Amino acid sequence: MSDSNAAGLTIRGAAGLGLPLPATGYARTAYGNVVPDFGPSTWLTVAPDGVVRVFAGKVEYGQGIRWGLAIAAAEELGLEPGDVEVVLGDTERVPWDIGTFGSQSTRHTGVQVRKAAATARQALLELAAARLDLPTDQLACAGGSIISTADTSRSVTFAALLEGQLLVRDIPDDVDVRAAADFSVMGHDWQRVDAVERVTGRAIYTQDVLRPRMLFARILRPPAYGARLRSFDGSVAERMPGVVSVIQDERLVAVLAESDEAADRAHDLITSEWDEPDGAISQWELPARLQAEARDPVTTQEAGDVGQALAGAAHRLEATYYVPYISIAPMEPRAAVAEWEGDRLTVWAGTQRPFGVRGEMAVYFGIDEANVHVIAPEIGGGFGGKSIYRPAIEAARLARIAGRPVRVAYSRVEELTWSTFRPAALITIRSGFDGDGRITAWDYHAVHTTTDRPNIGQRGSENPYACGDVRVVVSAGPAPLRPGSYRSLGCAVNHFARESHIDEIASAIGMDPVEFRMRNLPEPRYRAVLEAAATAFGWGTAAAPSQRGVGVAVGLDVGSYAAECVAIDIQGKEIGVKRVSSSLDCGLVYNPEGVRNQMEGAIMMGLGGALFEAAEFEGGRLLNGSFARYRVPRINQTPRIDVALVGTEANPSTGAGEPGIVPIAPAIANAVFDLTGKRIRELPLQRGL
Amino acid sequence: MVSLHVNGERHEGADARRNLLSYLRFDLGLTGTKYGCGEGLCGACTVLVDGRAIRACLATVGSVAGGAVTTIEGLAVDGDLHPVQQAFVDDSAMQCGYCIPGFIMSAVALLSRVQKPDSGQVREALAENMCRCGTYPRIERAVLKAGGGER
Repeated sequence: MSDSNAAGLTIRGAAGLGLPLPATGYARTAYGNVVPDFGPSTWLTVAPDGVVRVFAGKVEYGQGIRWGLAIAAAEELGLEPGDVEVVLGDTERVPWDIGTFGSQSTRHTGVQVRKAAATARQALLELAAARLDLPTDQLACAGGSIISTADTSRSVTFAALLEGQLLVRDIPDDVDVRAAADFSVMGHDWQRVDAVERVTGRAIYTQDVLRPRMLFARILRPPAYGARLRSFDGSVAERMPGVVSVIQDERLVAVLAESDEAADRAHDLITSEWDEPDGAISQWELPARLQAEARDPVTTQEAGDVGQALAGAAHRLEATYYVPYISIAPMEPRAAVAEWEGDRLTVWAGTQRPFGVRGEMAVYFGIDEANVHVIAPEIGGGFGGKSIYRPAIEAARLARIAGRPVRVAYSRVEELTWSTFRPAALITIRSGFDGDGRITAWDYHAVHTTTDRPNIGQRGSENPYACGDVRVVVSAGPAPLRPGSYRSLGCAVNHFARESHIDEIASAIGMDPVEFRMRNLPEPRYRAVLEAAATAFGWGTAAAPSQRGVGVAVGLDVGSYAAECVAIDIQGKEIGVKRVSSSLDCGLVYNPEGVRNQMEGAIMMGLGGALFEAAEFEGGRLLNGSFARYRVPRINQTPRIDVALVGTEANPSTGAGEPGIVPIAPAIANAVFDLTGKRIRELPLQRGL
Repeated sequence: MVSLHVNGERHEGADARRNLLSYLRFDLGLTGTKYGCGEGLCGACTVLVDGRAIRACLATVGSVAGGAVTTIEGLAVDGDLHPVQQAFVDDSAMQCGYCIPGFIMSAVALLSRVQKPDSGQVREALAENMCRCGTYPRIERAVLKAGGGER
């Protein structure tokens, strides 16, 4: 840890904050190293020149965690966020962390950074008290100094206090952080702290890492999922100008060249033969196969006797919903650069799990973790999908053989084809209800495409509506494409089915969909977000279809409540989303600008999956693995979006990056029904027009 | 072999057939211009040639050798941000930021040919640039502000 035991003030505390340690076998394979290092680590330093640095094991992939942590530290130390330097994602500089996913950064790491900064404040106050001969309760932090609150002309800078000092403090269990009522930085609007680097091109992403003597790799990929290499001939490729070698390491075959273009040209001259597996499931077959091959049912919610309740219900409704696989498609295709010095390995990798990748490297090469240094630079988007990060091991294997640094950078086609997908799901709901707008039975069965992580489909499956007789079952189904993490995982998928069905019930009894939800949602935080969104939208009561083209949905994910009201129009086969009024309760807000930015982004991203995105595949091949064939939302599809933040400090901070995507697809589907009277139960909606 | 003007500097001895994006990023180390798709569909590689926005991933060095190339690194003058860059900072119009250099270059090209563009003109000019973080509402606002047109 290069930054601990340095001159100045060092604040240490337990590492390993973040998600609870995964207990199941899937997590060990998915997340690699889960041998945590909880030992005391440096969370914050104040250098002898007065500069405050925060160290955290999270990574920045757009969510603004550097911004949020700078705000947290600035609050406690009387600084502005731009004064705080935040070091992330470098395994030799930051506390151990399991990874950046599940909207855990603010709720756990943010709290620890506040405590670390409060500990530093206390230490600085004590130093200043001795220097100024004043009690600490007459001193305050302001602008990089400690000042006397009675006489502001009496002050001493952090730098002057720390000159010649080497102080180490541990974060006490009972350290006091500033109360919400006293906030002058947290909860206020600040510019993004890393904005200038991003608008000048100085921000360095993994794709931008260039090392001396670095070779450019181009890897031979299988023609289909599951295909195994039978033979290849790289002799012509190897003679091409600029090519250093064509390497085979078990099933990994790659061209190594002095330039990217030389590697690409040579790659196209490799001839190869493959054994492809039989019976690959196509996109057309998948819904029926999910229905027929559901396995491993898990009951996530059960109360009363749903069979009896359905039999005795005044009205019944049964409907099946389908959500196809969608691609993550982050703007930065994944990449890695690996460099060996003897048995010591350095890897630059834009992964959400730098410590997990470190563990995978150590195990693979049989070296000590202390000899593996992983650096996660800026990450050009990930949305959960860069947890599993294959180019790191590919680059390290090739660099070991080549004896030179190697860069593996996925093309757009590789990124779309060889990353993971948001799982597809088939969901059947049978409900019972009475004419007064009460739900009397709720029988929910979801089958999510699943390989090793059944929790993806279980997330958000529970029914929040008042109902005494409930059964919610989530099963696993066959997975022709590899399912993986994606903003909110299966939560948004389950919400599409549930929030569509709730609208169907409301319509069946002729009740306004907002009113129907208000009647049946017992949780006050749910009702508060719904009321806020409906009020901002100017929702006028009417049963659907009202031909106005308005829709509503609510959602709960990572502890946060969200509601969205939308207005749409339809021209030909294009659904235009004109307005979205959204609201979010994520408890205590550190960074309202950051939260609004995340809500807007989640809504924009969700528009794609709602309207036109779907991964297409047949014969083990992805058919739309390029931006020419995979459509994503563009600026000219942007609705007017407003975001109301309705949470209070009464609740601890919960996730802000994911909940916004949860209600958007069902809200739009409900608006399509409201406009046309046609209920589309399958995404993407434009295919069903 | 050709010579190329990039951000006001003349570079000799470039291979005319070299892909412009690869040349800028790997040969000149100007990594602010990004690779996103290699098909001219996402706009992450947008640079200016004589003030016009082009997709570097589809160009060769030879195809632009007669012109002056400006990349994101060449936009600020003596450390002062270009008004479009400043507007993106002011509105926190970015998340991961990977697409942002391309958006800024497209916006600069728009503002050089259209004074005070309206919302429809901004959307049309930037519709070929892609942002997966969905920062579009802020990008539109920032470009409108930088152009001095409608809010």
